[in-house]
Amino acid sequence: MVAPTIIGLLVLNYYPLIQTIILSFSKTKTFGAMEFNGLNNYIDMFQSPEFWKATWNTILFCILTVPVGIILALLVAILLNAKVKFKGGFRAIYFLPMVCAPAAIAMVWRWMFNGEYGIINAILGVKINWLTNPQTAIIACAIVAIWSSIGYDAVLLLSGLQGISKSYYEAARIDGAGRIKQFFSITLPMISPTLFVTLIMRMMASLKVYDLIYMMVDQSNPVLPDVQSLMYLFYREAFVAGNKGYASAIVVWTILLIGIVTVVQFIGQKKWVNYDV
Amino acid sequence: MKHIKRAALLLATVAMLFSMTACSNNPASGSDGKLTMQIWDNSQREAMQALADAYHEINPDVTIEVQVTSWDEYWTKLEAAAGSKNLPDIFWMHTNYILLYADSGMLADVTDLYDDDTYSHYSDVSIANTQGSDGRMYAVPKDKDTVCLVYNKEMFDQAGVSYPDENWTWDDLVDASQKIYDATGKYGYMAYCDEQLGYWNFVYQNGGYILNDDKTAAGFDQPATIDAMKFYIGLQDNEWCPDQTYFAETAPGNAFFSGQGAMFFEGTWNLLYEMKNYPEMQGKWDVAVLPKCPNPVSGDGRATISNGLGYATASYNQDNETVMDFLKWLGTEEAQQIHSSYGAAISGYEGTEQAWVDAFDQFDYRLNVEACIDMFDYSVQSVNDATRPNWKSKVNDEILKIYGGQLSVDEGLANCNTIINEAIAEG
Amino acid sequence: MKQKSIKGSRNVATILTYVFLILGSAIMIFPFLWMILTSLKSLAESTQIPPTIFPAVPYFSNFADALTSLPFANLYVNTILMVLARVICAIVFSSMAGYAFAKLNFKGKNLLFTLILVQMMMPSQIFVIPQYEMLASVSMTESIFALVFPGLVSAFGTFFLRQAYLGIPNEIGEAAYLDGCNQWQAFTKVMLPLTGTSVAALTIFTAVFAYADLMWPLVVNTDINLMTLSSGLATLKGQFMTNYPVLMAGSLFAMVPMLILYLIFQRQFIEGIALTGGK
Repeated sequence: MVAPTIIGLLVLNYYPLIQTIILSFSKTKTFGAMEFNGLNNYIDMFQSPEFWKATWNTILFCILTVPVGIILALLVAILLNAKVKFKGGFRAIYFLPMVCAPAAIAMVWRWMFNGEYGIINAILGVKINWLTNPQTAIIACAIVAIWSSIGYDAVLLLSGLQGISKSYYEAARIDGAGRIKQFFSITLPMISPTLFVTLIMRMMASLKVYDLIYMMVDQSNPVLPDVQSLMYLFYREAFVAGNKGYASAIVVWTILLIGIVTVVQFIGQKKWVNYDV
Repeated sequence: MKHIKRAALLLATVAMLFSMTACSNNPASGSDGKLTMQIWDNSQREAMQALADAYHEINPDVTIEVQVTSWDEYWTKLEAAAGSKNLPDIFWMHTNYILLYADSGMLADVTDLYDDDTYSHYSDVSIANTQGSDGRMYAVPKDKDTVCLVYNKEMFDQAGVSYPDENWTWDDLVDASQKIYDATGKYGYMAYCDEQLGYWNFVYQNGGYILNDDKTAAGFDQPATIDAMKFYIGLQDNEWCPDQTYFAETAPGNAFFSGQGAMFFEGTWNLLYEMKNYPEMQGKWDVAVLPKCPNPVSGDGRATISNGLGYATASYNQDNETVMDFLKWLGTEEAQQIHSSYGAAISGYEGTEQAWVDAFDQFDYRLNVEACIDMFDYSVQSVNDATRPNWKSKVNDEILKIYGGQLSVDEGLANCNTIINEAIAEG
Repeated sequence: MKQKSIKGSRNVATILTYVFLILGSAIMIFPFLWMILTSLKSLAESTQIPPTIFPAVPYFSNFADALTSLPFANLYVNTILMVLARVICAIVFSSMAGYAFAKLNFKGKNLLFTLILVQMMMPSQIFVIPQYEMLASVSMTESIFALVFPGLVSAFGTFFLRQAYLGIPNEIGEAAYLDGCNQWQAFTKVMLPLTGTSVAALTIFTAVFAYADLMWPLVVNTDINLMTLSSGLATLKGQFMTNYPVLMAGSLFAMVPMLILYLIFQRQFIEGIALTGGK
């Protein structure tokens, strides 16, 4: 039963991955011509301050976006699952960011974060150059990332919440458990398998971030080095500079990084993910 | 086992279903009289369609389909297509990429395309923009451009400053900016971090260079280059020029057409579009030649960067008569005249510039676009060498660090010089 | 007394719920409103600094321009076909694999599951060119199938549905055995229907992902009549200048099928339990 999926992945994804790994040990000339050059790409990479900065930016971005994003998405999912009026309307609205034109999203957020006339500064009564200050640019990017991921994550979590039978809550109510207690003793354990997959997926996505930073921070923005993620660096090396070998080494490193974090998550899940219902 | 079979069957059925809708594509290109032409700029679609139609009129057996992709995806697509010999029949080539494609043998050599002297009607700059590193031509020149000074007439009037003309120098630029700022509170000349539309012009006006003539060394260590860079980057220290963080959020063109600033450098390729789409600004702005350097280290202080695109085809089409004939026609005076008349880009063929100028007659206020044409007399080829993809964004990073105050101009430029020289050494 | 205070705190909770939902909605809906407002502006106004919020004079012509600049009928059909095919593939193959990983024991299970996870770690950028070359080698670029190709199987879907199956007690499957079902019947007749809400979520997720992808369709197909909505709209971007009002007007047209799909499937969420009955 797993055959179609596995065969598909081998052809569609693992073949390109193997190519990438081979490339990462090669010095590439243009268009496929290449020669083996051992670990040189990796040595260059590990000696590059730009690379370490990008690694740190990527990890920071993950830390800034994943916990907050998941908690908010869970909250939204719970509220959208509760007895509220206009539930359909609310659900449609929270879904909107997923299908909005990327150009619209970029325009709106760049306008909101604008240092001179942005609405965020107006509301907070401060004057911060969100997108051009090295300290705040990554925070601004993280906010947009959280905003765009809430809808996706809430859809997944909502499906988990829907699977919880009402009878559990009724029993709990008879026992006199309050809402908070119900959340921790019923909702959280019951939704933990879905929560776990959502968490893993979101974490992986955030470590692979590229589009969003490309959209929010122009090439002419002096803060670029302070927000540049690993995949952004990959894009510049592979598609702008044409250094496929070096770029492939960045990809291999990124996959290893995600792999390490994932393994930690899988070990950690035993503590909180509840499969025996 | 049974289930696996069932699943495999399903997979196969789905695949079959879709493959039936797949058209059998690309037998030998053009053998059925259909050619594809791939471009990246939607605003030139009309002009390209006109060329396709005109050629079809002459050769009714051949139909050309114009296909547009967005800039970023264009190059990914081209790279993928080049690897699998699936390139569009005719496609635009940009100077950023031509050496990459030409030097690795992807493009057909069009040096001997013409029996007559057609190429002698193109300027040296135009020819150079379509050459590979070996000096052979790998694309038929499509267009050429210059960088010009765009200014807001109303702001000049309010400040009582006379309009820029061919005698203007850097000093006049600074002077006028200050006066306009004092009189109107608006920005003067908006000098932002950009190579082609920014510092390259100043460097070459001052007699400096980014790459030496035989492209073996960088010029960021030349006093003329350093002085010009200091002048240009230093402009942002003036109260009348926004700093780079402003430009990171606001495109200078948008600022100009919203009445925030009085001057900026613009490429000729945008002028028609700006006339069309800012109807309320018509008559309130105009173009002039770039101000010259008052005391250049060498030369007469004049320069403007000129870039140009080309029409190319894959090397495996070298003997494909249908493709090559269309390509050949695109370089003729007739085709270049049609191309120019759409006003989006100035054709490379000398003598067809007037058609581009005339395209501006459609507006009530006629821009002084002749100024853009005049600058071809002293235009400099857009800086390029085979290693530029390797150094372009790294140099940009260093210059941004200078703007951001993390590096002094001297340190930053020294880094730029090292980056380029190392890239050249690595080949 | 006590009864009352609980009721009081309920009311506070309800009010907080609405406050949160409404504030959240305002932030969520804002870009959408911005799209509508921008689609009604002139190009000059859309790039004005500082920006205006409401158009000075509404320009409805942007909608007409959007309709004439792209073959929308084809784009709709292509998008729907692509989304449909990717969703069907994701659901069918991921359900099977997810079920197997959750409920069956077979040789190499852990290794194969690792393959699923590692796929999720790979950045999609590395797939574009090799996948294009695969299709080109069998002359399958420029087709609807090419649009579907990268989405034939879904590692994420497999992982997601595996989690859903893990949440179903083993006893249910065992009961099906006792009733005389074989493995396949236990899966299709008993277990699969129990994952209804997860399948609905995966449908939405896969559909949105497929819909939003603009790079792949632009790379694999060049003919505008074989584009999807998102990628077709991307071709309206100029190298230097983009007519944002027209782009926004076109994007609004493009959103319609996705909203309809969502509204159908979010209903499925509510009815999901009623259908699966079991619990």
